Amino acid sequence: MKLFKFGLRLWIMLISVMSFLMGWIMIAHAPKPIQSSAPSTFNATPIPTLAPLPNADTGIIQNNGNLFQSPQLSVQPLIQALPQSSNNFAPAPIFRTSGS
Amino acid sequence: MQTLEFRAMNTSVLMAAEGDEQAISGLQAARAFIEVSEKRFSRFLPESELSQLNGFGGKWYSVSEDLMELLTLSLRYFDETGGLFNPAILPDLKRAGYDKSMDSILTQGPGDGYNRMHIPQTSLRDIDFDITNGRVRLPKTMEIDLGGMAKGWIVEKASNLLRSYSSTCAVSAGGDIVFVGNPLSGSKWEVELEDPRNPDQTTAVLFVGQCAVVTSSITKRTWSQNGQIRHHLIDPRTGEPAKTDWLSVTVISSEITEAEAFAKALLIGGRSEAGRLTSKYPELAYISVDPEGHISGSQFGKEYLNEYDRIFS
Repeated sequence: MKLFKFGLRLWIMLISVMSFLMGWIMIAHAPKPIQSSAPSTFNATPIPTLAPLPNADTGIIQNNGNLFQSPQLSVQPLIQALPQSSNNFAPAPIFRTSGS
Repeated sequence: MQTLEFRAMNTSVLMAAEGDEQAISGLQAARAFIEVSEKRFSRFLPESELSQLNGFGGKWYSVSEDLMELLTLSLRYFDETGGLFNPAILPDLKRAGYDKSMDSILTQGPGDGYNRMHIPQTSLRDIDFDITNGRVRLPKTMEIDLGGMAKGWIVEKASNLLRSYSSTCAVSAGGDIVFVGNPLSGSKWEVELEDPRNPDQTTAVLFVGQCAVVTSSITKRTWSQNGQIRHHLIDPRTGEPAKTDWLSVTVISSEITEAEAFAKALLIGGRSEAGRLTSKYPELAYISVDPEGHISGSQFGKEYLNEYDRIFS
């Protein structure tokens, strides 16, 4: 009986050690999750390059070869077209008489 | 209202006109006219028509229609003011030191005119006019200074030119002003009356319609000669800078040349002559400022003041 118990204990010990070593080997040789050297197939959309803001003098924005009038800047040429002192409703200047 | 400001005739010029591009064209045309005209009637430019005439004393000299008009106008106002307005005081003006432009006097000092001999006054009536042939002959010792009269005439012609571009406009040269029409922004033109004791201050404000406004003052063109303060307003009766009751006189009239002549005559003549002139010309509108800053004037003159100034004048 004693011999049987001894043999059983030895068997369980060897099986445990063997299982442990087998597991170690399996894990050691398993492929690592972020180890792939293959080129990425992720096709990220490139960040678009924004065109520079148009010059306020032109009032025109260039985009992919298409020209269009900026609604915000389209006011500018109108303002420029008006002469500097062109205000029909400007009050008359106050004159001054001082003698000479 | 378009405005244009520049310097000409030794003073600042301000012009205004209602309208857009046409008004701007009118302002530019009026400016060109002023710049050309000032060279014709300046006594400080030897090549000017006036200097040429002054150099021909005792001889017949052919003058332009414009100079003839200025001379005949001067003669008319010489008569109307009893000789107080007299452009033939140039020899006395030079003797008082005003023999170069005011800008030159301020930088170089007055001329040595004080050593000149006093030349007895000649009457403007002594000028010979040959209107048919466009000639005049000054007495040998006479020299003419059209000064303010020429300035007023130029302002009037410039305003006539400007009004052909804009029915509402104004031309001012050193306070000699012609107003045409009434401004759209208000019923009247506003004119500040400078305090002759302090150019930074305003004595009163005038509200005027279509008219001419001229101020004559003894405090604007002054210089020191042998320790004496001199000014440019010669009293034809003494040949010396006038000793006046007032520091300035402003005249409002339908014609700028008339305003010019009467402003000078009233300032030289003072209270006593003002009584005589207003009895002869009852509609004469003038406002005077005395050395204490008090405002007075004719009844017609006071009507241009606002309520506050009218009460205290």
